[in-house]
Amino acid sequence: MRSVLLQFGFAAVLAAGACSLSGAQQPAEQPPAGQPAVEQRLNAVLDRWNKMSPEERERELAKLPPERARRIRLLLHRYNLMNPQEQQALRQRYRTFSELPQAEKETVRQRLREFRQLPRERQVTVHAEVDELRRLPDAQRQARYESAEFRGRYSPQERQIIKDLTEYLEPEK
Amino acid sequence: MNCPMESHDPEMLVAYAAGQLDQEAVAAFEEHLSGCPECSATAADQMAVWQALDVWETPSVSPDFNRRLYHRIETEMRLSWWERLTRPFHPLVLRRILPLTATAALLLMAGLILERPAAVAPATKGAEAVRAEQVERTLEDLELLRQFSAARPGNNEHRDAM
Repeated sequence: MRSVLLQFGFAAVLAAGACSLSGAQQPAEQPPAGQPAVEQRLNAVLDRWNKMSPEERERELAKLPPERARRIRLLLHRYNLMNPQEQQALRQRYRTFSELPQAEKETVRQRLREFRQLPRERQVTVHAEVDELRRLPDAQRQARYESAEFRGRYSPQERQIIKDLTEYLEPEK
Repeated sequence: MNCPMESHDPEMLVAYAAGQLDQEAVAAFEEHLSGCPECSATAADQMAVWQALDVWETPSVSPDFNRRLYHRIETEMRLSWWERLTRPFHPLVLRRILPLTATAALLLMAGLILERPAAVAPATKGAEAVRAEQVERTLEDLELLRQFSAARPGNNEHRDAM
């Protein structure tokens, strides 16, 4: 009789193990099929945030310093004010950006922050250069980087911004 | 002679294959076989069966097989209806079938779990909640990208960097 109980106990332990293993393998949320994984994550973050109750959101924001919480509210408000086409275009750019390796992603962040500090007219010039370079084949692009005109037209910081954003960001449509 | 296959009377054919026909009948039937492919093929198949049966050796039984068989039959006959009813729950029987039952139950449970994972591991409300840092990081990235796009020549969007 003891061996019967032992066998039954063993089967029960196996069953419990199967339960916990199966539960651990399941993601917390199944994203809708047909969407790219990064876009799903983006949707997951923003949409889930929007679906949280105001009390839950405030509880989360209260964990941050007031200045950061205020900024989140502003950015979220701006994002929600964008029309669906603008949101879609931004998500597309975000998808390319998110798929970069971590180090390159950090580089792009840094260059975009530097870009943000440039005077408006320089931003427009730098952006136009990035657009132009993206249209060139690799060899011509390298030649352009090495050209005297390129060096004379942009500061070292601007050149670095142009190079990195040209290489890593998806062309805008 | 009539064709056994056409007349739906294969007795002659079976008897031929079993070697039960006399010589005269064998001669007559073999004459028919030479001109009838259908009977010829069936006869060949039948002969193959007989040959296989000839070489088949039955497994030998243990010397006391009969004694044990009759003893068991007698035991069965002496059992009361109650003993026959409760016999599946006898500890010795249970001991034999329980591991099988437990394994079957385990497989069934695993199948149900894998088929319907959400029923076992529902997403908790806590898992669905998004941390403020996650939102902040995502929004910051989006804002950086948006500001870069806003500087595109011909884009009249107001800069309004935050």
